[in-house]
Formats: sequence, C-alpha cells, structure tokens
Amino acid sequence: MKIVVAYKWAPNPQDAEVAPDGSVDWSRAKGAVSEYDPVAFEAARQLADATGGEVVGLTVGAASVDSPLARKAALSRGLDRLVVVADDRLADADGTRLAAVLAAAVRSIGDVDLVLAGDSSVDVAEGQVPMTLAGQLGWLGMAAVSGVTPSADGVVVERDLPGGITTLALTGPAVLAVTTDAVVPRVPGMKDILGAAKKPVEVVPLDALEVPDVVAATTLSGSRPETGNRRGVIIDGADASSAAAELVAALRTARAL
Amino acid sequence: MTASTQDAGEPEVDFDVVVVGSGPAGSVAAYRLAQAGLSVVLIERGEAPGSKNLSGGVLYGRVLDEVFPGFADEAPVERRITRHVTTFLTPDSSVGIDYAGRALAEPVNAVTVLRARFDPWLAGKAEEAGVFLMPGVRVDSLLTETGPDGATRVVGVQAGDDQLRARVVVAADGVNSFLARSIGLRRKEPTNHMAVGVKAVVKLPRGVIEDRFGVTGDEGAAHAIVGDCTLGIGGGGFLYTNTESLSLGVVLRLDDLVRSGRTAIEVFEHYSQHPGLAHYLRDGEIVEYGSHLVAEGGLAMVGEVATGGLVVVGEAAGLTINSGLTVRGMDLAIGSAIAASDAVAEAVAAGDVSAAGLAGYRRRLDASFVMQDMRTYAKAPAFLERTGMYGAYGELAASIFEGVFTLDGTPRKHLTKVAWEAFRRSPVRARQLVSDGWAGVKAL
Repeated sequence: MKIVVAYKWAPNPQDAEVAPDGSVDWSRAKGAVSEYDPVAFEAARQLADATGGEVVGLTVGAASVDSPLARKAALSRGLDRLVVVADDRLADADGTRLAAVLAAAVRSIGDVDLVLAGDSSVDVAEGQVPMTLAGQLGWLGMAAVSGVTPSADGVVVERDLPGGITTLALTGPAVLAVTTDAVVPRVPGMKDILGAAKKPVEVVPLDALEVPDVVAATTLSGSRPETGNRRGVIIDGADASSAAAELVAALRTARAL
Repeated sequence: MTASTQDAGEPEVDFDVVVVGSGPAGSVAAYRLAQAGLSVVLIERGEAPGSKNLSGGVLYGRVLDEVFPGFADEAPVERRITRHVTTFLTPDSSVGIDYAGRALAEPVNAVTVLRARFDPWLAGKAEEAGVFLMPGVRVDSLLTETGPDGATRVVGVQAGDDQLRARVVVAADGVNSFLARSIGLRRKEPTNHMAVGVKAVVKLPRGVIEDRFGVTGDEGAAHAIVGDCTLGIGGGGFLYTNTESLSLGVVLRLDDLVRSGRTAIEVFEHYSQHPGLAHYLRDGEIVEYGSHLVAEGGLAMVGEVATGGLVVVGEAAGLTINSGLTVRGMDLAIGSAIAASDAVAEAVAAGDVSAAGLAGYRRRLDASFVMQDMRTYAKAPAFLERTGMYGAYGELAASIFEGVFTLDGTPRKHLTKVAWEAFRRSPVRARQLVSDGWAGVKAL
C-alpha cells in the first residue's frame, strides 16, 4: 500500500502576535509542521507497517517550506521519503489552489492508494483542503476519520460523527482527514532525526506539474468570533490553596463544574 | 553521519562531538569543531535555535569577529552601541553618566541582538560548516563509562529511548546546566549567586527610538540603571535599543528578592512605570515578556570546566560578569567556545579525551580574556551586594545635583560644600562611603 501524507509547513502559532484589537500578526512566526498533521503521519506509518507499504510525505507551498529543518521535521515522523513543491508563486495561494497543486503532485507520484491529512491547518483552519483534494482527484473524500486499519482488500475506516461512530470498508483510493485523537503521534527521537537526514527528498518544480485551473473566491468581509460574556473574575494566587478553593467555588457558581 | 577519526579497536561513536545547546557558546563550538574536520551534532531543546530564548541583550562583539570577521555586517544584529548611559534613579529624580563615542562604532565594540533572530543565524553558520543540527530534542542525561584510566568518563548522551555516543560532549546547556550538575562538575548554586531577570521587548517606531536615545542610523544606546528601579533589591535595570524595539528588564538577586517579600513581576512593573524612564517608553507596546534565571556569582561560580569526555562552556560554566556598568555573558560564552573547541580538536586528534587530555581547555580559558576578565571583576558581585548601591547612594547623588542645579535665590555654594551638606543629610555614613568607594575601585 502506497500512502501519501499531505501536510502543511505552517507558521507556528506560538510565535504569532495577537494585537489588542484581536488581529493576528504572523510575520515573526517560524515554520513548523502544522499541529494537526503529526497524527496523519503516525496513522500512515502504522497502516504501512501493518501492510508492508510505503509512506510518502507531500507538502506544497512557498520556497520556505523546503529547508533542512523543515525536511528533518517531516522525515523524522515516520516517512519513508518526501516530495516537496516549494515555489514562491504559491506564497499567497488559498486552500483551493494548494489542493489543486497537491492533486497534481499525487498524480505525479503515481499508484497512490490512500492520502491521509490532518483535518485542518493550524494557521488557516478552513478544513477544506483534504476534501478539495479528493474532488480534484475524483476520489472518495472523508473527514472526521478517527481510525484506519488494514483489511483484506483495502482499509476499514472509523468515523466519529455527530450521530455516533460509523465503521466503513473502503476498497478504492480515498483522501482521509484524520481527527486529532485518531492515534497518538510519536515525538521524534534522536535516531529518528538522524535517520531523517538519510531519507530521499524529491523536489518537484511547480512547472513540471499539470495543475488544474481553480475558481477563486473573493472574501467580501470578515469578523472575529464573539468572545462571549466573559466574567473577568481574577483570583489572587498569593495563597495557592485558598486560590484553588476560590476557583472551584467560582466554577461551581458558573455551573461549569 | 560520519566518524572521521574512527580508529580500529576504539568503541564506535555516532559523532566525534555532541554539543548540547544552540546558544552562542554551543553554535560557535560546533562551528569551529566542524571546521577542524570533526563530525558534530548540535542538539537543541527548542523547536528551532533561538525559540527558547527570550529577548536579547548587548553582545560585546570583538570576540565573534575572530570567528566570523565582519559578522556585524552579515548577522541579524539590531544596533551598534555608540552610547553607554549609567543612571542612578530615586523615586523622583535621576543622575546619569552618559558616554557617547565614535570610537565605540569602528571597529564594532558592542551590538544589541534579539536572540530569536541571532541564534538561528549562528546555528545556520554551524550547519553550513557541516554540523548536524538536531532541534526539538531534550537531552535527559549523560552516558558514562569507566575509561581505561579507571576514571568515570562521559561517552555520549541519552534522550528518551535513544543514545548517541561521542568522543566528547560539549555542555552548552545554559545557566542551570543539568548536565554539568549531573556529573558533579557544578553544584546547585546558592541563591546569592543567582538572579532572576524579567524582560520585555517594547515595540516603538525606528525614528522615535533614534530621537529619544540620541542615536542615528544603525547606532544604538545601552542604559544601565540602578537605585529605585529595583525598589532597593540587589540588582539593576537595563534598557537597550534594538532596531524597532527596546529590550527592557530588571535583574534581581534571588536571595534579596525572597527577603523583600516582593515578586519579580511587581518590581518589573514598578520599574517599567518609573517616571525616570517614562519619556523613553511612552506609547511603547510590550510585544514579548518573560523571565529567565541569570548567573551572577562571577568568578566564585566558575568551577571545574572539564572532565573525561566532557567540557562545559558559556553560562553553563558560570561565565557571566555583572560589573554594575555592563552585564556580559555572550562574549564570554563565545570566548569559552573558542578555547573549548581548540582543546577538544587537539584531544581528539591526540586520541586522549580523558580529563588530562582535555585539560588544554582550562589552560586556554585561563590565558584568554574570559578568565582574565572574570578575575578582574571577581570582587564585583560582593561589591554590588553592598546595599547602599541600590538606595542611599542614588539619593545622595540626586541631592548633590539638586543643590547644584536648583537656583532658588539663595547664594551659591562651592560644589564640595553642596556635596558635604547632601552627605550629612543622607543616611550614608562616611566610613561606609570610604569603604564602599575603595571596594568599588578594587572590584571594577
């Protein structure tokens, strides 16, 4: 089984600055594997180990998505090899265009059985790339995947949906967006990182791909979510045990406990 | 991964050298060892070099020029310091000594750096030289074995389930140096050797910084502040100019802070709202904020810096100087990295990485500016502990100048008389003044 993990090298939220008016400045943020993607790496690795398959990492984006640090960060998480499309013409690409480039790259990798992805990116958080990718490929797309296990002729997928947990059998190629708690991702160790440096990386030029045209959407307006009715209670922490008691009492009064 | 100096019969190693910590000491040591032809891995706890680092400070850069000639033109430095100001604050006045000189600009004497930008550059230099950079890994412990000489020696590091073996481990793991402590090279420092630094980065437009601090272009100012800024707690404040921000902070001696019953945050807030600084900080926006332990023990804190298979560099070795006028760490870190990398390369080449084989590090360190300066300022910590430095002296200086500059219609008096009268009103006693003055001359 050949599994592609589509992941995003995204700005790290730890470095983002939130201004008093609520706007977010990402300009000083360094890149990192988007927080929701390591679970996809791990699920792919476990599936490949169970089926004797291969795990190929795939990321597309601006030139900065390909650096020694970025390569090691991805390859140390259980990949066999990495395919990168890094081009500054993709610097401001929206999710629809990134999904189109991912689709072209998946086709160029060839013979892919399954694409796994995190269910959303940490910076944009629209959650649409995996499903648009499935659409571009003409494959089955499924979000909210909480488990993937091998079966005789494909995989068994478990989905955690509002109506309950559903288990399905898949035989054809599919794009699966996995939930954050589907598996526990590994923390790369020293040997993983050393091993990462020896794994093959293929840099695919954007111009070498046949990227389908996409329809662009225009954002008309935006507003930030309501912060709700915050009570703004501040508890003096000078004495830890009385502060804890006060906190518990406040939470009880608010019916949070 | 290559083991360039592997000999038959020797235990196999993953790298010639493991360097732990990618601050200035670790990155410079790794860079120079790779230049010497050794295989080097540089392990960093943060997700990337500089990511664990708060704020920045003044780097006295001549020593880095030795490693990277003209670094200030290439590295992401903030400003070249051409103005040093020392200010005594009282609750409602300030007395300052302001030294501005072109001589400080060429060659570059000191620059301000923000470590979140500077450390990645330095580690990148090491990576270009062939160092294997390994971020996101916390080293848990040192691997030790009994060497051929019967003594315990360090043979690598352990992180999680993984072990990496090396001929020499360079501990550049900062002020708490758990590695050096774990092998008994360092003890847990007494609290009068430790200080807590509370720092913030305050964003201001470039032009505003230049106007307020009296600098132009890429020039900058470094302010050292003592007196009321710390509410009488041993320590001091600093205020440095970056390109488009200020680094503002207080360093508070831990034992004195505990004794005062105040919190570091409380003192920092008092300091950052002090009327003596208000005109510098007005309309500034705090964009980064945090605290960090600082070694303040001076020479008394520098213990053994090498044992079999291990050398300790930078702040991990206790190499910091707070003279009251200048706070130094990064330049000493780089100086120790130069001494250590030369000694380690020599020891590996000679095939003797025992304590005796690595003794060249201490020898080089002692001969370098690092230990010479540590010895020169050996009495500074004790001098700065004399509490008059933080309260009464500022008041005394302020009242002398108040007498000089206040023209209230009374006849003028000679400066010595003004000073004498101010002194008589001050709680500072003559014997103490003479004693502190003499201690200061000897210490600084």
